[in-house]
Amino acid sequence: MGESVPLPAQAPAPFEQIMLPHLDAAYSLARWLLRHEHDAEDCVQEAYLLAFKAFARFRGGDGRAWLLTIVRNACYSRMRKSRREEPAVAFDEQLHGAIEDTSGRADFWQRADIREALDRALDRLPAEFREVLVLHELEGLAYKEIAAVAAIPLGTVMSRLARARARLQAELRQLTQEDSPR
Amino acid sequence: MNCDDTRRLLDADVDGELDLARHLEMAAHLQSCRDCAQAAEASRARAAALREHLTRFPASPALADRIRQSLPARSARNPAPAWNFWRLAGGAAALAACVAIGFGWGTGRARSVRMADEAVADHVRSLMVSHLTDVASTDQHTVKPWFAGKLEFSPPVVDLAIAGYPLIGGRLDEIAGQPAAALVYRRRQHVINLLIWPAAAGSVGAGRHRRDGYEAESWTQDGLNFVAVSEIPAAELADFVALYRARVP
Repeated sequence: MGESVPLPAQAPAPFEQIMLPHLDAAYSLARWLLRHEHDAEDCVQEAYLLAFKAFARFRGGDGRAWLLTIVRNACYSRMRKSRREEPAVAFDEQLHGAIEDTSGRADFWQRADIREALDRALDRLPAEFREVLVLHELEGLAYKEIAAVAAIPLGTVMSRLARARARLQAELRQLTQEDSPR
Repeated sequence: MNCDDTRRLLDADVDGELDLARHLEMAAHLQSCRDCAQAAEASRARAAALREHLTRFPASPALADRIRQSLPARSARNPAPAWNFWRLAGGAAALAACVAIGFGWGTGRARSVRMADEAVADHVRSLMVSHLTDVASTDQHTVKPWFAGKLEFSPPVVDLAIAGYPLIGGRLDEIAGQPAAALVYRRRQHVINLLIWPAAAGSVGAGRHRRDGYEAESWTQDGLNFVAVSEIPAAELADFVALYRARVP
């Protein structure tokens, strides 16, 4: 005790030290939003540059949520430019006006065919739904953090998650019926 | 709480988003209502299925290199000096701790927070410098003896692969100015670092901390300090800690 401990030969700059560990989270979000490997890579690189320039405004706290906000916005502006994706939430609000059954039965989720179809089902959802599910289920972000990243009110996070889950379940039913007609 | 309220708030409860009072009200209702209890079970099953079976795409190493190279020259534009100082203090781990030890620690709580901060810094560094493991092995009988002779204590190494937390190796690290064992576990594509070091110079005690988007959970047991750090949700990390502690001989 009391000995000083050697620092790494060259300590990485703070930006890299704080933001690079979140690269997988950033890439996974971009990949799910853009559905394209190279687009996602370009977009994440662009987002890191933007984040670097805006880093003076980062005042600590959750580096991952801060970075994901920038990645998310970069993805949306790319989607808008390419017009590859139209927002489909309005349509869905009507379809699922009442949120009752978002999870069905436990054994549904334990079926092997359901688990294998999860990626394909998520891929079929509109971007707004993919976004909240990826942020919540894969990245483990709290409602409050999702509200900040997606720039929507807290109540909207809850209802959007509920609708996304209901839609996911509907897609899973359809996919697994297509797979194994009985 | 009636069935309507319960159904409306069920997912939020499973997501760990309800305050304690409402959570307890809901638990009471679920005890007495079979339909709602089934719905709760389904909600938990869905959460587990999504967490374990949705793909989290990892970034390629080439992308990390591309980003590093595209960033303007280092340190030219380091913003927010106070924050940098704090990060460096945290990043230089033992340095801050040595100073703190020298001047006598503050309260146990402050010490616990400081150690958790260091553990988070160790975790981040292990991801940063591609130095996750010194010994890469999924076998506890390989990892445990590897530490022998390198440390003056013997860290308990347990296999949690069956529970969904495979061991991927071990590493020598440092915390509070002392050599520490870092056990590295994986949860889906997320890494969990479990830092273990003797509590003789100060106990970390039981606590949960959240810093920079990472969760840390600490405890002291049999003369050793433990801090588990990861970016997985706090509830999952608590699950990992409970499983680990249940299996420590």
